[in-house]
Amino acid sequence: MASTNSCAVQGGCPTDYVAIAIAILSMMLLLSRSVFPCLVHKVPRTNGSGFWFPVFQVFGSFNLLLSLVLSINFLKLEKKHWWTSCYIWAVWFEGPLGFGLLLSCRIAQAFQLYFIFVKRRLPPIRSYVFLPLALSPWIAGAAFIHAKKAMNHRCHMGTRWIVPVTCLHTLYVVALVGCTRSIRHIEFKFDELKDLWQGILVSSSSIGVWVVAYILNEVHDDVAWLQVLSRFLLLVTVSYFQLYDPSQASVLVLAFFSMSSSQPLLAQISLRRREPSEFRSMGQALGIPDSGLLFQRDPAPGVDSSDPLDKLLLNRRFRQSFMAFADSCLAGESVHFYNEVYELGKIPTDDPVRSIYMARHIIEKYVVAGAPMEVNISYRARQDILTTTNLADPDLFSAALNEVMQLMKTNLAKDYWSSMYYLKLKEEASAWSSCIEVEGIGVGGNFSPRLSSVHGAADDPFHHDQYVKPGSICNTLERSSDT
Amino acid sequence: MGSLCSKQRHFDKPENEENGQAAEIERRIEQETKAEKHIQKLLLLGTGDSGKSTIFKQIKLLFQSGFGEAELKSYTSIVHANVYQTIKILHDGSKELAQNEAESSKYIISSANKDVGERLSEIGGRLNYPQLTKELAEEIGSLWNDPAIQETYSRGNELQVPDCAHYFMENLQRLSDANYLPTKEDVLYARVRTTGVVEIQFSPVGENKKSGEVYRLFDVGGQRNERRKWIHLFEGVTAVIFCAAISEYDQTLFEDEHKNRMMDTKELFEWVLKQPCFEKTSFMLFLNKFDLFEKKVANVPLNVCEWFKDYQPVSSGKQEVEHAYEFVKKKFEELYFQSTSPDRVDRVFKIYRTTALDQKLVKKTFKLVDETLRRRNLFEAGLL
Repeated sequence: MASTNSCAVQGGCPTDYVAIAIAILSMMLLLSRSVFPCLVHKVPRTNGSGFWFPVFQVFGSFNLLLSLVLSINFLKLEKKHWWTSCYIWAVWFEGPLGFGLLLSCRIAQAFQLYFIFVKRRLPPIRSYVFLPLALSPWIAGAAFIHAKKAMNHRCHMGTRWIVPVTCLHTLYVVALVGCTRSIRHIEFKFDELKDLWQGILVSSSSIGVWVVAYILNEVHDDVAWLQVLSRFLLLVTVSYFQLYDPSQASVLVLAFFSMSSSQPLLAQISLRRREPSEFRSMGQALGIPDSGLLFQRDPAPGVDSSDPLDKLLLNRRFRQSFMAFADSCLAGESVHFYNEVYELGKIPTDDPVRSIYMARHIIEKYVVAGAPMEVNISYRARQDILTTTNLADPDLFSAALNEVMQLMKTNLAKDYWSSMYYLKLKEEASAWSSCIEVEGIGVGGNFSPRLSSVHGAADDPFHHDQYVKPGSICNTLERSSDT
Repeated sequence: MGSLCSKQRHFDKPENEENGQAAEIERRIEQETKAEKHIQKLLLLGTGDSGKSTIFKQIKLLFQSGFGEAELKSYTSIVHANVYQTIKILHDGSKELAQNEAESSKYIISSANKDVGERLSEIGGRLNYPQLTKELAEEIGSLWNDPAIQETYSRGNELQVPDCAHYFMENLQRLSDANYLPTKEDVLYARVRTTGVVEIQFSPVGENKKSGEVYRLFDVGGQRNERRKWIHLFEGVTAVIFCAAISEYDQTLFEDEHKNRMMDTKELFEWVLKQPCFEKTSFMLFLNKFDLFEKKVANVPLNVCEWFKDYQPVSSGKQEVEHAYEFVKKKFEELYFQSTSPDRVDRVFKIYRTTALDQKLVKKTFKLVDETLRRRNLFEAGLL
């Protein structure tokens, strides 16, 4: 018969402290692994579900562990304080804010993936609406238990209550399994499916361990060491499982692709055993042929200014020069948009998954109102893209691209021909075969009316950097190809 | 949006020799920035389609070498593009109205023009437009004169019909000429959305030919996505010329068909006024498109715009136009004083009535602007 003063009942056994230490260690590891990539690589914070889901999952893990520690008598705490109340920890923090939150996030992610990849449209219910909706049964259940005061002084629920609670937990795991099964045939590029299966494994194992511990405790209520052992095992296994939080992959992937492609590389370091891969753009990450080879050296054939712009843009050197010009006068997003839609066009039509990744990336980056490189298109074109019923449609962006091309033709192209960038391109083309020494390119006369300098205004009042530095053209060409 | 403006730094006199070198460097920097400083920076801001680029073109015409033949020729394709785009918008608009409206019969194109309409709509959707031949011009003309299209044009405020539609449609014969060279007027009417930033530097030479101030004028795009780029230009601005098209109180935005243009202008003006960089910047408000405003006020009451909902018409005809204009002007003045904190009340604020297409008017207006800025400069320098 266990005395009421033993540590098995009150808490405070040595194994308890060990378990708590392990739990704290795992939480710190979890936090550092989530925060480390953002801080070290200075990844800008992305908005939207890509950021909040991992945050909520880490928050949920934390709450779950905390609830376990504080409700299952690990610590020798006086039950008189209001903040040690059983209901707060064992009911609210374990349910809606812990396990329920974790599973709801995963279900919301699976739901999003289902809509995007199987139904091929943007999800109709925004995630900030879906998540509270998924949490509502948990909140209702917790409120009900709290109201009925179903817990005894030892923080246990009677069997009458345990069965529905376990059912709710299992129901959500089953729902997650169902959602994951609906997308199991999609070949994801960034291991989303594997992460979901891992999440399911973790959640169901946790439930399994918990049920076993509970049953053992109820059946052998008087065996002290069983109680101690079971709660030790419960906390340790749950801590261990939380370490396998697969949400970090999504943090890395999504944060990384939100940076514009003109920024320097970010090595995708994964803290699990994976080879580090370096991607500059979504196109490269998806393995689109010739992506990123915009920077390779390519003999610039004579560029005829009377050719239509869409034909000229197929020439890589011209495209690079034009893109640099557009970036210099703050109109670069049009050319980048053209570039990425062109890469999208290279994906074969029998590979809808990659098309959908690319399409979604383009939408997030260029089309959504308030996007980082939002392009100047009409309301209709934008709405047609956002409400499309087929994300893998090869003509998804053709109307918007048409508008952007018109904009480039009538607006940028005129100024490009009289700009420095075009002169430089002509010089390179003519000097390619014969690497002649050029003393300095005297440029005078009618200049492009585009911005002479904006960013460098403070440090370069006389625009000296604009002019091509004297030197060998060959060296310039060599240098530009190494970037 | 963080403050990118550097506050005025007052350099204290160096105390001893060790600071001598630092002071020398600072003095040199000050000299250089002063050399740059006498170039006055002017920004043309405003919502999309408010007339900024037209003012920009006018300034080029007035104070720079104007448009050479090569440049005029380069506008041919733009004028033709405007024609094709306009007729496509009207044709597609008439089809849409025929579907959605109760009295759909008046929007249905006559059978004679149906095929023509479909073909022109297809041409308008292409990337590269064909040359505007006499035949095409005739077809476009006949479609334009179709009553359904005219009905659609009267509802043009619900579609994104450009303001130059009427002008170009009336001049189709001339535009389709084989040796067509755009006139200055054609160039001013031509509509191109600006993207990014364009600048010119000019000196408003007075009658006595003595060079006055040097101005650097920046033109920007007005659509929402373009506005995020404005922040790069906000430092060291002498004056902001804010263009507001007062004739668009019944139209919606190009980039958001659920937002009224006048309300967007109001919000944008407020935002610009509250910018920390513009503490000492002069504001010139150009109430633009007065010619269109004149014609519209007679038919469309000002109250359709939420901002003007307390407007009461008093008379009719020319008096009414003046009354309506004064009402709008007062609204903008109220908005200015609402959005200006007490420590900024001494910055210059002037309102001008403009029609950007009218060269004489723009010249006169700019002279007034120039005078105001010069007086302000002297005041700042303590000479007034």
